[in-house]
Amino acid sequence: MQLMSNRKPSIAAALCMITANLLTSTIAFAQNTNDGTDSAVPNSLPAIHNAYDEPAEELGTTSVDSAILYYKESNGRVQAIEPMVSITHTTKGGSIFSGKVTFDSLTGATPNGATPWSGTQTFVAPVKGGGEHGLTGASGTLVTNPVTGLKERQYTTSPNALPLDKAFRDSRIAVDLGYSRPIAANTKLNLGVNGSVEQDYRSLSGRLGIAQDLNNKTTTLSLGVNFEHDQSKPFHGIPIAFSQMSGTPAALNSRNKTVLSAVAGVTQVLTPNLLVQLNYSFGSSKGYHSDPYRLLSVLDPTTGAPLRYLYEGRPDKRTRHSVYGAAKLATGSFVTDLSARYYHDSWGINSYTVELSEHIPLFSKAYLEPHGRYYHQSKADFFTYYLPSTAALPSFASSDSRLDSFNAVTLGLSGGFELTPKLELYANAESYRQSKSGSLGVVPVGINNQKLYSGTNSISGLVGIKFKF
Amino acid sequence: MKFGKILAGTILLACTLSGCATVQPWQRDITARKSMQLGRHPHLAAARDHTYFSKEASAGGRGFDGGGCGCN
Repeated sequence: MQLMSNRKPSIAAALCMITANLLTSTIAFAQNTNDGTDSAVPNSLPAIHNAYDEPAEELGTTSVDSAILYYKESNGRVQAIEPMVSITHTTKGGSIFSGKVTFDSLTGATPNGATPWSGTQTFVAPVKGGGEHGLTGASGTLVTNPVTGLKERQYTTSPNALPLDKAFRDSRIAVDLGYSRPIAANTKLNLGVNGSVEQDYRSLSGRLGIAQDLNNKTTTLSLGVNFEHDQSKPFHGIPIAFSQMSGTPAALNSRNKTVLSAVAGVTQVLTPNLLVQLNYSFGSSKGYHSDPYRLLSVLDPTTGAPLRYLYEGRPDKRTRHSVYGAAKLATGSFVTDLSARYYHDSWGINSYTVELSEHIPLFSKAYLEPHGRYYHQSKADFFTYYLPSTAALPSFASSDSRLDSFNAVTLGLSGGFELTPKLELYANAESYRQSKSGSLGVVPVGINNQKLYSGTNSISGLVGIKFKF
Repeated sequence: MKFGKILAGTILLACTLSGCATVQPWQRDITARKSMQLGRHPHLAAARDHTYFSKEASAGGRGFDGGGCGCN
């Protein structure tokens, strides 16, 4: 049975109008500045002096920037608190040393990948530490398997509810170190390393880049490469793709993934008040790409009754391409920021993203910045909500909503306040809403009234302080 | 291929934009402003990128692919 989603919103049309407006004002401004006057501000608009109109002079300074993010998904799903702090020192010669530490603390419930059903569903999973430390009430109950004698975690999902695993709890620490220095009059070299550790995941990466200024520094060409090595090490081991979910840990402890990526870009000062940027990025990853916790329901193709639950399986390779363009236009003390990205990967996913923000000066030392983003992606070739019991197993399959076709809209408001030229407070609040796009495909009659799309809605808030000395 | 056409168009646009630029060094006061800097609040950009990376399939464009996170 084919089920169709809601009609697409007319955001694309609105963004087209905004883009046309941006281009029109740019052309008008270019005409103004070609009339022999060197005025940087269009005649029709008053010049408003604001602290953020001051030049961003960083040479010979050290800045400490710290912020804390609060993130919360609706319906009791993931909640995160993420403090971060960075220190950046810029020498008088233009070399930059930087360091950043980020800490994540995550709790909540996350979809396990199974489909909703009109009856109660019971899931059996391996238990951390062999069950010696017990379980919290929300994450399930501890039972002993009569055959294996192993302790297992058992949790249930109410009828018609999206199956969620409430045992999700993780913490992550990430460290980034960077260094940049001029190697010739108009050439900069930059390099850096990044490492992160979670309870079940480790990542280490190194990057190298070069930037070349041309045309009196109105053009900057940049090229960077990054190599990343990740290790996935869930406490219950790496499940074999399409093996049945059980309380027995897998034999294989961990698997790795490597990612090689490159970004080539050009940044151009097009007129005295307009900057544009164009990037192309490429990424190639090899190794383990599956989610070791994610399940797929095997359903009766007519009734939709769940018969068993299998671990998902994804391809071991992925190639990604992105084209990104951005423009920043100053009109008086206002700044319009528009960007767009087109993305394509070897899993069959295409996406486009459009973002727009407007920097609005407020009094002499503050600003507000409303922000909007629209995102659309198509589904991966191997995405499916379920596996029919009557068909042979496919080579790859996943029910991860991040591989589904959907739209996402972000609306937010950020702002900053320069207490002194060396001390700034800033904050941001935003909402993020995902909605299903396109057809759900063929769905068993017995579950055609169930909500199969498991995307999420979230809100987040961030406050930060930046100190320069 | 659709992506190849978009990439070719982007390269052509980049060359065209570079050719049109006539901004002199003494006209750089506006683009030197704090409000005109790309990536002015890196923590805010990182927080947004982390959310998008953990909830969407796409990556890259503004920066590198990957993400150093088991969240996707």
